Amino acid sequence: MKIFDTTLTRLEQSLDVRLVEHNVLAGNVANADTPGYRPKELDFSQAMAAAQQVSATDGMAATDARHLDASGGTMDGSRATNAATMLIRQGGGSSPSIDGNEVDVDRVMAGLAENGLQYGASAKAAGKKLAILRYVVSDGAA
Amino acid sequence: MDFLTALRISGTGLGVERTRVNLATSNLANAETTRTESGGPYQRLDPVIQAVPFPAELGQAQASGGPPMMAQISSVVADQTPGKKVYSPGHPDADPEGFVTFPNVNPVHEVVNLMSASRSYEANATAIDTLKTMAQRGLDIAR
Amino acid sequence: MSIETIQSISQPIGHIGEAPHAGAVEKGGKSVGPGSFAESLGNALQKVDDMQVDADQQAEKVALGGGNLHEMSLALEKADVSMRLAMKVRNKMIDAYQEIMRMSV
Repeated sequence: MKIFDTTLTRLEQSLDVRLVEHNVLAGNVANADTPGYRPKELDFSQAMAAAQQVSATDGMAATDARHLDASGGTMDGSRATNAATMLIRQGGGSSPSIDGNEVDVDRVMAGLAENGLQYGASAKAAGKKLAILRYVVSDGAA
Repeated sequence: MDFLTALRISGTGLGVERTRVNLATSNLANAETTRTESGGPYQRLDPVIQAVPFPAELGQAQASGGPPMMAQISSVVADQTPGKKVYSPGHPDADPEGFVTFPNVNPVHEVVNLMSASRSYEANATAIDTLKTMAQRGLDIAR
Repeated sequence: MSIETIQSISQPIGHIGEAPHAGAVEKGGKSVGPGSFAESLGNALQKVDDMQVDADQQAEKVALGGGNLHEMSLALEKADVSMRLAMKVRNKMIDAYQEIMRMSV
């Protein structure tokens, strides 16, 4: 019996990916004055697709107790985080300035704001869904 | 890749910008300093900023484009360009020919650096602010 | 708009107090037929479920990066309110049932 549906899983994944995205953008902001620095970016839809892919396969099931554990690797962090991390790539910059720095600070700041908002929206949705569940489970009290 | 990582990255950014501000103000303050401990006029200081990859923990996924980078001041170098020479024989620091060498500080240059560092500092602070809001929303899931 | 929704839930529930239709009586007294309590309840619960599904779809759209933030919020809130109302009705029904069972024959 599944209590937590795929929507909740999707929301969890989006929270993970949004956090990775924030890290990427924060790295770009921190290096906004580093000569020769090329910014990094993360394609959100691509990362979400990869996260869905990983959770769909969910590793391999062992058919014998003596088989080695193949449950999807020994990587720390959630699968969505790892899937998104592996997709970070160079890009998203503007034309280089005199010292070779390619960061477009304004674009990065706008990206940070949007990312933060979307993170909040996903968190809100997840919280609300769980609240409905909680209400039903506690028999209509609280 | 989590909140602590993001906090540290933005923290390094703040540190770098603060150092830039300090160097710019030091240069401005010493724009007319003709005598230093090592003899000779003040030489303006330049930061050398370097991008440092965030240390990957064991077992963490590797990004194809490299991990998010922290910023770091790897060194502070003195600008070697000679300052302007002004003919002023009565000056206590005048050389035998009567010229005084003033520091190679261009105040306009330093103020521009100051403004740029200030703007970048604000940008890093905004990034931390956004992170704090996100963390709060994340915690609110559990009401 | 929300009142409309509440009405759309409470309307079928309101039929509980009415006597069964003549059509139902013809089927030997069993209350299965148009306008019967079971069907009204089923419809109401179906509507509540539809709202949950809609909220889920909106949330998923936002999770994937698209979607409309305020549409999602509204859908979630509608789902919450309708579920709470359904729970209240369910509790009342259980109370009513227990009250009836307590009656001495």
